[in-house]
Amino acid sequence: MAKRGGFKRKSSASEEIPSSSMADIAFLLLIFFMVSTVFRKEKDVNIDWANAEATEKIDEKRKNILHLWVDAEGQVFINDQLVTHSSIAGVVRPIYSENRNLVVAIRGDRDVPYRQINEITEQLKQSGAVRVTFATRIEQRVQRARR
Amino acid sequence: MAILNRKERVSDEIPTASMADIAFLLLVFFLTTTVFNEEKGLPIVLPEAEQEEVDVSAKNLIFFLVQPDGSVVVRRGESEQEQVVAYNQIESLLRAELAANENLIAAIKTDPRAPYKNMINVLDEVKLAGAERISLQMLEE
Repeated sequence: MAKRGGFKRKSSASEEIPSSSMADIAFLLLIFFMVSTVFRKEKDVNIDWANAEATEKIDEKRKNILHLWVDAEGQVFINDQLVTHSSIAGVVRPIYSENRNLVVAIRGDRDVPYRQINEITEQLKQSGAVRVTFATRIEQRVQRARR
Repeated sequence: MAILNRKERVSDEIPTASMADIAFLLLVFFLTTTVFNEEKGLPIVLPEAEQEEVDVSAKNLIFFLVQPDGSVVVRRGESEQEQVVAYNQIESLLRAELAANENLIAAIKTDPRAPYKNMINVLDEVKLAGAERISLQMLEE
């Protein structure tokens, strides 16, 4: 009968999940992440980090953060350039005037005399960039008790 | 002859069924091994250069004097009395002081010869004590 034929008809859709395009999807994702990854251009200066238990995550966009390195000899590096202490204000001022949200991250060696750090903060005050963080590594309470 | 009739059993297509597994494996590997270098530290806002001097009454000040040898001396604003403290005592000491006077300003005065890490240690303790008003200064030689 023509009417009953409808019940007998087999489903033409496959019961399996179509997995043939899965590889394309996965590779597409892989390529997307590879292409959109931005690598850091700046070189790391070799320093011994200061530790602090109160270390906070600085919730600021990467472009708003200026790294200022101070190595154990007291040499200051901004954007991979060696900068003399007296010219820090002159270097930071144009960067700050372009970006008012600038945060200067002072990455100082733990053994550098405080005189150097004080000079830097004085220079930063001159340049107007007053939002500063002292970059530190997180420290556990047990270690803190020992100092 | 039987040997000539035998059909080739090896498929001539590249096996693509496991391609998705390989790709996802790569994806997961890179996702888990990626380390984001987030910025961490102790934030502080410096006073501006042209700011007029604000008179702070001495009773709202507590000084932490960091000596070149790394020891810390506490001096309360109005008294000349000085007291040597260990780093791990600073937090509880300042917490008690802050409970008594919430307008208290913690002034960290560091000797120019003292290593940076000692000043960070004190700043760490002061931050842990919950002080909002912090001043960084250098001891005069």
